[in-house]
Amino acid sequence: MLIQDTQDLEAEVILLESRLQDARAQLAASEYPSPPSSWAPKEQYNTNNKPTTSSASLHALLLLSDSALPLGSFAYSSGLESYLAHNKPSRTAPITSFHRFLKLSIASIASTSLPYVLAGYRQPSTLDTLDNDLDASTPCIVAQRASIAQGRALIGVWERAFRVSFARPENPASGDTAVAATAIDDLSDALKSCLEEDEDLGPKGHFAPLWGVVCRAMGLDLQQTAYVFVMNHAKAVLSAAVRAGVMGPYQAQNVLASQVLQDTMMKRIAREWNTPVEQAGQVVPALDLWVGRHELLYSRIFNS
Amino acid sequence: MRKPAMPIPSPFQSSIAKPGQGKVVLSLLPPNNPTLTTLTYKYPLKLVPRTGGFVPSPDSSALSDTCPSNPVHLYLLTYGGGLLPGDHIEVSITLEPRTRMVVTTPQGSTKIFKTTPNNNGTSPNVIKGHRDQMPANKSLSDMSQQTLDVNIGRQAALCYLPDPSVPFKHSRYAQVQTFTVDATAKGAERSSLCVLDWVTQGRTSRGEDWDFHFWRGRNEVWAEDDKGKRRLLLRDSVILDDESEDLQDTSIPDGLEVEKKDKTYSNTTHAGLENPVDLPPQAPVGLTPLNIIAERTRPHGVVGTLILSGPVFEALGSFMLKQFQSQPRIGSRNWSDHAPSSVPEPSLSFKGNVTWTAARVRAGFVLVKFGAKDFETAKHWLGGLIREEGSVIREFGEEALCCL
Repeated sequence: MLIQDTQDLEAEVILLESRLQDARAQLAASEYPSPPSSWAPKEQYNTNNKPTTSSASLHALLLLSDSALPLGSFAYSSGLESYLAHNKPSRTAPITSFHRFLKLSIASIASTSLPYVLAGYRQPSTLDTLDNDLDASTPCIVAQRASIAQGRALIGVWERAFRVSFARPENPASGDTAVAATAIDDLSDALKSCLEEDEDLGPKGHFAPLWGVVCRAMGLDLQQTAYVFVMNHAKAVLSAAVRAGVMGPYQAQNVLASQVLQDTMMKRIAREWNTPVEQAGQVVPALDLWVGRHELLYSRIFNS
Repeated sequence: MRKPAMPIPSPFQSSIAKPGQGKVVLSLLPPNNPTLTTLTYKYPLKLVPRTGGFVPSPDSSALSDTCPSNPVHLYLLTYGGGLLPGDHIEVSITLEPRTRMVVTTPQGSTKIFKTTPNNNGTSPNVIKGHRDQMPANKSLSDMSQQTLDVNIGRQAALCYLPDPSVPFKHSRYAQVQTFTVDATAKGAERSSLCVLDWVTQGRTSRGEDWDFHFWRGRNEVWAEDDKGKRRLLLRDSVILDDESEDLQDTSIPDGLEVEKKDKTYSNTTHAGLENPVDLPPQAPVGLTPLNIIAERTRPHGVVGTLILSGPVFEALGSFMLKQFQSQPRIGSRNWSDHAPSSVPEPSLSFKGNVTWTAARVRAGFVLVKFGAKDFETAKHWLGGLIREEGSVIREFGEEALCCL
């Protein structure tokens, strides 16, 4: 048994090393030759020839992309509500106006938050610094509240639901995920021991870096992590659009399924793939204004 | 009145090696005498101090018990009033404890001249021969860059209200402004700073409307303790990128070729798609709109950020927050109402066509972000608010607002 285990572990190490090399090679190539096809999950699993990894990560992927994941994302419109109030859509093209917002919103989340997701995945041990730096980079209270609330909810889901299944020592690739699990625990402890009123600069639990770390702890690869992050954002905005009366549920699914949305997301992910967190920034200055002015709305149905 | 003693800038200064570098140290000599103990700069940068201009009256100063020193005014100039491709301005300022400095740009806006992909005889690089020591990296050499590094000591204050930067068509510019404050100072002893960073759509008289290639403005405030440990307190980063480089082969830096490629790319993408019925056929929000930057800043012709922190600017920060919170509520009618009678939304904003927001973020920072239809509107709006509140003029004099 022991020998068998050791062999398995060795095989695992070789596999991980080869994946690390692949990842490094991808990292080194700063541009995607053909982004949409270059990292289709299928290919990777075929080359890996490890159906177990595939199904485990597929399972995690489905869990994390579920809109029933209790993060409270439904409470936030990411500025859509304020955008609609500031840009009254003309009678003819409310949908056009919404498409503009969706595109701007995806570009913005990719340029401001995605680098933190990727950094959280790549270096889970720097989670506390990432958390501090993202807090320092969030320019308004409304966005800050939304990010912190969802980040803390994610910690809650991890601790109460996912950790039991994903942070077991017998789990394959546990060495890889253990670092991430430890990082989440450390941040969680820091959050609990920190009294908010006297520590203005304490740990906050921002969503983006935590997302990267949790995805790593659950065995997703980096591309899946980035894609599901942006996709969840798009889903949240579209869901808000349905509830704000911009479009119907079928239209929303239509947009979600569309090739245009996929291409937009892929393009933004490819752009920010190698962006260091220091270089992250707002590419849509108008969006900061809309989100910040959400507080001025006379009536609100969302928290952001 | 006591005037700060000025060192004579030596043309043989060896510490300043590279063009565009400058270094300023403002010290407080006993008993209460602000003195520039270092002042060096090299072409194309020019730093001109103006001394003894303004003396805050002891009664009016909100912090008279801490005995603030007189502010020293530093003019930041570049030859020609702007930056050429490849120019790299690097200014380092140290404000020792209890000193105060006003920094302005007396030449009007910081003009960012255009980048020419192919260096032919008409480019400004060749006219100003000795400026074109190009580094190996092409895209970096095309870029104008400015770094400002300010160290603000305990109880010291910086008031930096410059003119906006005006990026010309096809220009590239990156600016990093780093402010370091004393982490050990608490309460009324903290360092204070007021920093304005704003960018316009270009030369409107020439019809420019966000037609530059790239503009990046990054402002960071770090706290450093006595052991040298640094912590990021605030980062404000705006990236305006037309993304024309995305589809460009790095080996062929040819502007025309890129534009052509750009168009074919967008055409094929649109044609090849099975557009969902709900999507407008050739929506202006398509994959590659003609001007990405304009799309992302619409409807504004100028966007900017004002950062306020520390005891000296506490009153101004609170005033801005109060003004923001007392703005009329937006859309007292149901906001999803598509009523045709709706007035254009900007008219609801405070004082003209300015859309703005103010927030007290962390560590006592007040962050004001604004967008306005043009430079004049933004200038009058911001200048009006700061003058109405009055503390900047009381502490630093009217000349601190000479750009507003």
